[in-house]
Amino acid sequence: MEPEEPLSIPTASTSASASAAASVVPPSTSGAPPLPPSPSTGPAPLVPTGMDDDISLMNVIATITTAVSLHQLSQYLRSFAPKEVREVVLASMLPEGQDPLTILDIQANTLGILYILSARLHVASAPRPPPNYIEDFCSNFVAEQARFAADRVTLLVTGIAQAAEQEGNLRLAVLPVQDLLLRYAPSPSHLTTIHPIFARICIASRAFTAALPVLTHPITTIDLAVSELTYNDNLVYHYAGGMIYAALRRWAEAEEYFEICACSPGAVPAAIQLEALKKLALVQLIRAGKTSSPPKYMHPHLSRLFKNTPYSTFANAYPHQRGQLRSIVEADGALFSAEKNLGLISEALERAPRWSIRKLTATYLTLHLSDIGQAVGIESEGQVQALILDMIQSSEICARLSSDGTVSFSDPPVHFEKADVDKVLGDAQKQCALLSRLEREMARSKEYLVKVRYCDFCIRIGGLRDMLHPYLCVRTSPKCDRSLFFFFEKTTPFLL
Amino acid sequence: MEVDVEQQQHRRRPVFTIDDDHSFDLDAYIAPYTGRTVIDRLIAIIIQCPSIAPHALSLAIQRVYRLRDPSLLNAVISAYESVLGTQEGKGLPPVADVVSVDMEWVEDVTKRNIAERTKLEVELKTYTNNMIKESIRMAHRDLGDFFRSTGEFGLALKHYTKSREFCSTSQHVLDMCMSVLELAVEQRNYAHIPSYVYKAEGALESLTIGGAVASAAAPSSASASQGRKPTDRDQIQTKLEFVLALSHLGTGAYDKAATAFLKLGPPEQLGDWIGKLVAPSDIAIYGTLCALSSLSRSLVKSQLVDNPTFATYIEQEPYVRELVQAYMTSDFKTVLDILSRYSIRHNTDIHLSAHIPELTKLIRHVALILYFQPFETVRLERMAEALGWSVEEVEREVVGLIQNRKIIGRVDSRGKILVAKKTDHRAELFGHAMRMASEMEKTNRKLLLRMRLQQADLVVKDPKMTRREQERGLEIALGDSLM
Repeated sequence: MEPEEPLSIPTASTSASASAAASVVPPSTSGAPPLPPSPSTGPAPLVPTGMDDDISLMNVIATITTAVSLHQLSQYLRSFAPKEVREVVLASMLPEGQDPLTILDIQANTLGILYILSARLHVASAPRPPPNYIEDFCSNFVAEQARFAADRVTLLVTGIAQAAEQEGNLRLAVLPVQDLLLRYAPSPSHLTTIHPIFARICIASRAFTAALPVLTHPITTIDLAVSELTYNDNLVYHYAGGMIYAALRRWAEAEEYFEICACSPGAVPAAIQLEALKKLALVQLIRAGKTSSPPKYMHPHLSRLFKNTPYSTFANAYPHQRGQLRSIVEADGALFSAEKNLGLISEALERAPRWSIRKLTATYLTLHLSDIGQAVGIESEGQVQALILDMIQSSEICARLSSDGTVSFSDPPVHFEKADVDKVLGDAQKQCALLSRLEREMARSKEYLVKVRYCDFCIRIGGLRDMLHPYLCVRTSPKCDRSLFFFFEKTTPFLL
Repeated sequence: MEVDVEQQQHRRRPVFTIDDDHSFDLDAYIAPYTGRTVIDRLIAIIIQCPSIAPHALSLAIQRVYRLRDPSLLNAVISAYESVLGTQEGKGLPPVADVVSVDMEWVEDVTKRNIAERTKLEVELKTYTNNMIKESIRMAHRDLGDFFRSTGEFGLALKHYTKSREFCSTSQHVLDMCMSVLELAVEQRNYAHIPSYVYKAEGALESLTIGGAVASAAAPSSASASQGRKPTDRDQIQTKLEFVLALSHLGTGAYDKAATAFLKLGPPEQLGDWIGKLVAPSDIAIYGTLCALSSLSRSLVKSQLVDNPTFATYIEQEPYVRELVQAYMTSDFKTVLDILSRYSIRHNTDIHLSAHIPELTKLIRHVALILYFQPFETVRLERMAEALGWSVEEVEREVVGLIQNRKIIGRVDSRGKILVAKKTDHRAELFGHAMRMASEMEKTNRKLLLRMRLQQADLVVKDPKMTRREQERGLEIALGDSLM
């Protein structure tokens, strides 16, 4: 994308000084300088006299160091020259071959450095910034400044990843990006464009544990002002998060992440959501021995699509028909491995006898090892015994094994400490407070108030028809009928 | 097609022999029936009980001569011959030894049938040309009746449904529906029944309302018919209830079938259907078996035992009363004994036979569950003794029931003891509360994220969506956000 475009110009300009770069551009700059079209408030005081037609890195650096208002500086950096030229200029060196980064201070000039760094990483022929400088920047930059240029932060992150990939060691990118992410996000629960990229870097470099400091904080806040998100960022991040947790065998968290991805809102289901749903089913099988019904708000198409996949037949046969399970895996093994799910499938297959045994504990008090082997489809008594011992050790079941090979199952003892209960109660209270705060916020929001007042007004003038009119106009789907119903429900108190 | 399937089913079904433990009186069984159903039932018996097949064959041939469908003769004989070909049918006398086929009758009837058919079709054509609605309807109806009596069900159904277009009153619609329903019962086309029942109920409803209006308008003329109307209405209502119950049975909805059979009106109200389609004893058996297999003990008591109307049906079949009594006194061994003693009666019934294995299984389960209910621990041997099964059989059934959560207990496989599960309600409650709390928290969080995503419009969009649809989507979203 952007790094490709300027390729035609750089040959002329990169090595040359800034004036040479300027000489390439005149056709576009001389007649109508790039500044006038930008909002009239910013440019005038920013640009020193005599610089209108002279776009050089010197001047840019000067502006960066002298700028008083961050807002104006960001305006200037965004629009001081046409796009291609701007990138090239930002990526160039100072006339004496001096690195502009050495002049600027990371803390004071975060915004400027951000522009220069991201441009340098993306313009193909530009000199690479030293890796330790990038690390330094990532751990010391000022987030408030960086938030003025969210798009440049995204560029920087992709640039870091690309650079590391070219080095042949993607792992190099993990730490800088993690630092950047932790510092950049206003709170750990904010979703940013860095999240999905970071998660992908972690997966590609198999640095799963490095992602944990970020993943442990569930995303609850979406702020488009912090970074320019698309729906894909949300889907990719949660999908990748699920994969990381699955790789670490933390099934509960993996399940949650896959579920969030599969159940994200949408007019149509995305392909990644179907993939997430497949992985979700497998993770549920591994974790609980069965799939649980997905939330009601999942897109209905998804479950229909899922039913037609071999994953669905696999889940239905789980865990008892081991023969059938194996034949499914044999028949569709190519598909499973092509979709990169063979690992999860074999993990689930391996755990199948455990779930069968778990089910037996609910049915029997005592059972002989051979009977168990018959029930779960394992021939050798020794294997069954080893399996049972392992399950007892990991406290999956509560049982005693006597010397004659009889297993007596018992109910797992249940203990509840007062502290546990208190903790749960405390959590519940916190939730309650959060929800009521949110409700109050909602009730205060302009949108809501306008609608309520409109209803109120209509009722006062007795125009039930007028009130309904907009609803009847948009009644194009059952969804609308539902909203109509809720509307009636809400308005009945007014009517009475 | 359908006949093929039927025959295949027959072939797969087990064959029954009559002995001391499994009694069956063919003459008594077949006596109350008249018309086509006799032949259908006898064919079923020929196929399933080779030991009495010759007797059934001669009975069937006698009865065929009273009807006008020569194809039935072939059906009966081919059924007998198919039995002759099987292992169990060896040693039976060939057809010619049992009955002599009256070929003259066949020719005569065929000739008469062709003549009548031509006559009726000509009539229909004339009426259609003259466009007299009522006559066209009657012609269709007559043709339907004719085809039904000659066993051409497809054509009969076609003419009955055609006559619907020419119905001008609710009475006509009702007549049409009843004819189709009779046809459906004869053909055992259970899936077809409900839609016609609802149609008929609609017609019946408008008929009574119309009748009320008419009687208000012209009291003098209505007074004569008023004495007749209510019983007529009840009769049709009872018939409709019966076919609906039968369709529930046919589609395997035993609980619905049970309640429907137990709510039926007295046998008189089934009118001409008694004998032609069904005998009261059939209803007693269907209703009782469905009730025992799917209703709870208290419901059986209130709806079956204390039900005077249904008692009139049970009177027809004394062993059903014994069955119910044994069930109510928890004498499950007798219940199962009676079921097996009358298994031929049940298995040769054209409506019931397909469901007997399932019904028996359900009744066995009910017996086990009811037997175990009062105990905390019970030896499987004792259970086996009380039900007349082997210990292994009991264990297998019990394990199945535990896994389906019908019995709350566990089996001590070594000591062969069934132990009721003791639940620590306090611990259960705590565990449940804790689990719910963490689940609620998670769900809340996920929903909040979802809400935020929607607020920020980060929803998956169709890349192919046109602009117009996008606008519509916006409108929908606006409507939605009002919720």
